[in-house]
Amino acid sequence: MIITTKTYQEINRKIKSKDAIVVTAEEMIKIVEENGSKVAAEEIDVVTTGTFGPMCSSGAFLNFGHSDPPIKFEHLWLNEVHAYHGNAAVDCYIGVTRMADKRPFEYGGGNVIEELVAGKPIRLRGISNTTDCYPLGEIDTYFTIDDLNQSILCNPRNAYQRYVCAVNSTDRTLYTYMGKLLPNFGNAHYAGSGCLNPLTNDPDYETIGIGTRIFLGGGIGYVMGEGTQHNPKNRFGTLFLKGDLKQMRSEYLKGVNYEQYGTSMFCGVGIPIPILNEGLAKKTAIKDKDIITDIVDYGTPRRDRPTIRKTNYEELKSGLIEINGKKIKCSSLSSLYHARQIAKELKEWIEDGKFFLNPPAETLPIETDFKPMKQVSELKFVKDLKRGAVICYEDCDIDIVAEKIVQKNTNHIVITDRDQYLKGIVTSFDVTKAVAKKKTILKDIITKRVITTTDNEPADVAARKMRKHEISALPVIDDKNKVVGIITSEELM
Amino acid sequence: MTIINITIPLGLIQQIEDYSRIVNDILKHDVSLNILKFSTSSGGINILLDLPEEKIKEITESLKSNDVQINRKGRISYDQEKCLFCGACISLCPTEALRYKDDDSIEFSEGDCIGCLLCVDACPTNAIMED
Repeated sequence: MIITTKTYQEINRKIKSKDAIVVTAEEMIKIVEENGSKVAAEEIDVVTTGTFGPMCSSGAFLNFGHSDPPIKFEHLWLNEVHAYHGNAAVDCYIGVTRMADKRPFEYGGGNVIEELVAGKPIRLRGISNTTDCYPLGEIDTYFTIDDLNQSILCNPRNAYQRYVCAVNSTDRTLYTYMGKLLPNFGNAHYAGSGCLNPLTNDPDYETIGIGTRIFLGGGIGYVMGEGTQHNPKNRFGTLFLKGDLKQMRSEYLKGVNYEQYGTSMFCGVGIPIPILNEGLAKKTAIKDKDIITDIVDYGTPRRDRPTIRKTNYEELKSGLIEINGKKIKCSSLSSLYHARQIAKELKEWIEDGKFFLNPPAETLPIETDFKPMKQVSELKFVKDLKRGAVICYEDCDIDIVAEKIVQKNTNHIVITDRDQYLKGIVTSFDVTKAVAKKKTILKDIITKRVITTTDNEPADVAARKMRKHEISALPVIDDKNKVVGIITSEELM
Repeated sequence: MTIINITIPLGLIQQIEDYSRIVNDILKHDVSLNILKFSTSSGGINILLDLPEEKIKEITESLKSNDVQINRKGRISYDQEKCLFCGACISLCPTEALRYKDDDSIEFSEGDCIGCLLCVDACPTNAIMED
């Protein structure tokens, strides 16, 4: 049985008289270690947490007020970033991963929100179908945050309880939402602030719930409830947050862009945990080494990526992790420095008697499942679509290759050795070029570095490989590099 | 070992013999070296070589005599004002020129930078730019 040692009212009374004892989650570790959780529960009133990292599921509702004559947007753009309109006439939602039409991958909704909060003018361009009540067809104007009626940051999924560590087993560099991942386990990235993470310090959701007042983007925000993909059973809880952008500061809302992934926004979140009982004192003293997560291979382009092994935030924060007996460099995508600053600033707000704690109207669910998408069409794999490869041996003449191209009516000849091991590929265009340049030796025209696929690769992943490398066929190989077929753009169409 | 960054400029290699000449010149020095990175760009072929300290001078002289560029250190600029102190660049830096300080902010040590440029496209705020 948990014995309540303090109430919210008692803590708030102390905050009001500036007597509350507030520490950050990092400081709490030492306090509990030295004095025990019982003494800590009596002495400490509030533990503050913080996190500052890319939070893709973020955005803002804006209301512009009515134009004259009035307009009901069908489409609108803020600094050339398409905002979502599907509400009343002049409401919109600008999402942080939406990229500018003209400068995708460089500028997006996150940048618009950062600039808006910084007080910069934003261009609003909108078009309408026009109605009897909303006759205006087009608008092109500028506004600043002060011109808006409401500007509400509304983030469906923020502040993950913990996150995985990403690595890449493939032989090429991957550009992901977990940053740039070098081939052959060349580096590792993680996210989250570990022992400073808000939900990590209240893992059973005793104090964080609907209505909890928090630090959000440098201002005051609220928890609206569980975030999307809230996954409490696996300790991947998330939060749905809102707050008034007009109170926020652009230093804690930063538009960012990840190479070949797109735009997002760093969002600063800090949540106070009232130490109502000894159990919470213990929980808020959680150490990095006790926060376990998975090292996951992002080289597998599937929903269920293989876990390499378990790790913890102490190892991750050390800057080096071991994979297959090799030490590899590991760093964070979120900012530990700013997470600490947020926890400190929230601590100061409470110490100064400016920020009070409130019990949640309802606590977060602890039983929700995180389900995968229901897909009605069956997933097609390369093995379902491939056909037999037309093969020539590496030591044959170009003439024979040309003959096969004609005979089999194909554009791609896969070159192997006598044991079917892949050696290269030759296209009908390569043969044409050879004729033009009077080349007769096959070896001189083979493409040796071949992009390949395997039987169990989804057809869409194979299609993306072709698009990315601007090629029209992929030899299908087994795990020993033996050719077991070919798939071309024709099969995929 | 010390890492150097070289570029074989576009157009330098016309024939296979051009390669042979450069490689044979290096072989004369009887040295084992690691190739850390081999990449191509519009400017040519970029190679990161890991060499024994005592051989650096003669090898670079030999490369220079064959018109291979030895890139000066620190080919990036780092704007701390724009930096969010995440670590998207840290794990990519082979020499710890980009590193966390004790307070988990980030500093750039130009002297340690070998100009491999791996970090440039990894920065989410464009705080790191190629010079």
